[in-house]
Amino acid sequence: MQASRESYSYEMIRSELTWAVGEDYVHTDESDKLGHSIDYYWVPELWHDRGGKPTPPDFIVHPGTSKEVSEVLKIANNYNIPVTPWGGGSGSQGGALPMYGGIIMDMKRMNKVLEIDTVSLTATAEVGINAQHLEWAIEKAGYSTMHLPASIGCATLGGFIAHRGTGVLSTKYGKMEDIIMSLEVVTPTGEIINTLPVPRHASGPDLTQMFLGSEGTLGVITKATLKIHPIPEERKFHAFLFKNMHEAMTAGSKIMTSRLRPCVIRLYDEPETAKLIKKVLGIDKQGAYLVFGFDGPKDMVELEMKQAAAICMEQGPEDLGFEMGQSWWDNRYKFFYPPYMFQLPQAFGTLDTVATFSNIEKVYWAMKNTVQDNFPEATFIGHFSHWYEWGCMLYARFIIDEPPEDPREAIALYNKIWDMAIRAAIKEGGVINEHHGVGLKLGRIMKDLYGPAFKVLQDMKKTLDPNNIMNPGKMGFKGV
Amino acid sequence: MNIDKHLDAINACRFCFMCRHLATLGNVTFKEADTPRGHALILDKVRMDKENLKNPDYIKTIYEAPLSAACRFHCVSHYDEAGLLLAARKDIVEAGLAPEKVKELAEELKQVDFKLEGAGDALYYRDPYSENADAFKDCRIITGGDIGKALDILGFVDDSKAVFAKFKAAVEASGCSEIITSCPASYDMMKGKLDGVKVMHSSEYLLGKELPKSSGKAYCLDSDFLKNYNDNMSAPRELLEKCGYELVPFGTNSEESYAVGEGAVIYDKLNPELARKLCGRIVELADNPESDLLIAASPYTRFALNKFAPELTVVSLEDAVLKARGN
Repeated sequence: MQASRESYSYEMIRSELTWAVGEDYVHTDESDKLGHSIDYYWVPELWHDRGGKPTPPDFIVHPGTSKEVSEVLKIANNYNIPVTPWGGGSGSQGGALPMYGGIIMDMKRMNKVLEIDTVSLTATAEVGINAQHLEWAIEKAGYSTMHLPASIGCATLGGFIAHRGTGVLSTKYGKMEDIIMSLEVVTPTGEIINTLPVPRHASGPDLTQMFLGSEGTLGVITKATLKIHPIPEERKFHAFLFKNMHEAMTAGSKIMTSRLRPCVIRLYDEPETAKLIKKVLGIDKQGAYLVFGFDGPKDMVELEMKQAAAICMEQGPEDLGFEMGQSWWDNRYKFFYPPYMFQLPQAFGTLDTVATFSNIEKVYWAMKNTVQDNFPEATFIGHFSHWYEWGCMLYARFIIDEPPEDPREAIALYNKIWDMAIRAAIKEGGVINEHHGVGLKLGRIMKDLYGPAFKVLQDMKKTLDPNNIMNPGKMGFKGV
Repeated sequence: MNIDKHLDAINACRFCFMCRHLATLGNVTFKEADTPRGHALILDKVRMDKENLKNPDYIKTIYEAPLSAACRFHCVSHYDEAGLLLAARKDIVEAGLAPEKVKELAEELKQVDFKLEGAGDALYYRDPYSENADAFKDCRIITGGDIGKALDILGFVDDSKAVFAKFKAAVEASGCSEIITSCPASYDMMKGKLDGVKVMHSSEYLLGKELPKSSGKAYCLDSDFLKNYNDNMSAPRELLEKCGYELVPFGTNSEESYAVGEGAVIYDKLNPELARKLCGRIVELADNPESDLLIAASPYTRFALNKFAPELTVVSLEDAVLKARGN
């Protein structure tokens, strides 16, 4: 949109928005616009750092109810104004950036826990709730969401749903698509709909799953019912140092294919063990660090821990013990705080990819070789974060300590690395991605990833959002 | 510029979201600007171009910050975002850009007249938010206004120093070697600045006295200054426990600030509508708003909650002790 702030049309629209959500909840000040023009994506961060002009929204609205969301969407359709939903703004893919201005629909005012059902072990909440606040509220009732990602303090429940988020304990408790029972959604044209109340049914395709991961392109998710869990009696961790990543992967995949049920496995390749594990945990050794954890009734935990340790020992690693495993758990978020997290002037990207156990090492080497052969200035490190019965997620990263000073050159280099590395991963059976989402960053890859099937998604978008107001230009969908 | 001394915080906080769940004001306005990230982004803009300091929206945001320092306390590296905001306020004042309301408040705060009353070996400073000095009948009392902390927080550093010098002279004139205050902000200001005089928070002082035994349940609302600025001082809770109170955790967590703007010292005067919103969150989080006993570790917090959330029962630490005595 980018209407002039001094124009009468801008004031006309602002008036209507204030009638919809209240004067207090429409912001147009430059402080808030700045905050909403940069998310956790490296490109707008770099742009800001180098003095570039941000792309701000025209209006920031904070709806308090689903009806208010609906009202705002009707206004947006009437004037054909883009609407970009915003949760915590902590996404790394640029999904919440208002690339065409318009309305930022910041959902944080919809922050209530509506019900905790202690019979079915579910909770219903408005999705603007900060994820840590939700977890605290559920813990106060004696339970846990068990969705504990590093972004728990900054992201909202809606943000997790919109990107199919994953928490540290995903291996046992699942990702967002396993955690969510049902949704309330306001469609782009303003209808308030509910998906079926249970996630297992034979009443046609599952609408809940359709909206999960839609990144604000198919409507605005306003409420969600999710599974909650009892606090386990015991949670224990055990760490090992393998000679190399392959042996550690052999052990990790065997733990999963033996159908043990760890709550977490994390495996760091040799360079990341040398770089980050040393920096955060102080383990200064050569090799690949692997930690696993189990939780539940004490006796079961002991038994599973023993079996998993035996599987690991088949590869002859150094046993770092329980303490070094616990230390990883205690420091699991520390990796993401400055100065432990990579930061400008470094260029860095998380090449989040997921694949089956048959393919995951091929994917790793394809990406690593692509980055190292073509971009000698880049360092490639990686760890394997979220493990399932069939495969796991590769949290690979490239880091350039001194990228070009010129922001255009730096962005060009950054995009080139992403493109080449991701396409190499796709060739080996990798899927982008497991939990960061697509956003603006990877939209261009969607057609190649899906092939002809992408048209199904495009048609769905066209049907639900005839005026293309919802987060245009993201996820590979058409821009304005 | 003063903010240049805080480049580490600008660089660390401008793209970091890790403490946003503790953004005291952001949790009630829902604005990105009202978070440490939002503040650091604004001040990064100012760092890049000083002209940006004139931006009225930026100035407004900087003066709306409640300065709870909950985020700094939480941060694994303790980046000083509160210090950065204070530096920005100093820059605004030095550039003659302070908003009218801030200037008016500063003028009022300069009008102090410290007076001594009563007799005793110890001196009790009664701050403007403390209702009475009933728990300190064995002390000499000093009154007369804020001791310079509020001016300091507003960015008027020289005026703050001048007011504190007057206060210091009055303390010296008292001849007392011990000074007690209920006000955590004043405690923070006095600490290490009164030569030869021992500075105590009222909770530390009362812990040394004979204490009554009560038996009720209560919720303690921690002070920003005692918790986040003074390494989580344990005396207020110890005092209440020694008085027999069964302390129930307030809200859902112990990390958030429930002090409703105490870190900004006179937040109720500078930003009354925002103070009201912060008080609204306390009402929202209370288990039983109509019946719970809330004990505020800061006189400011008690005052603001009594004013903006009268449906709650909020008393000061001293009143809680007196109540336990049956007074």
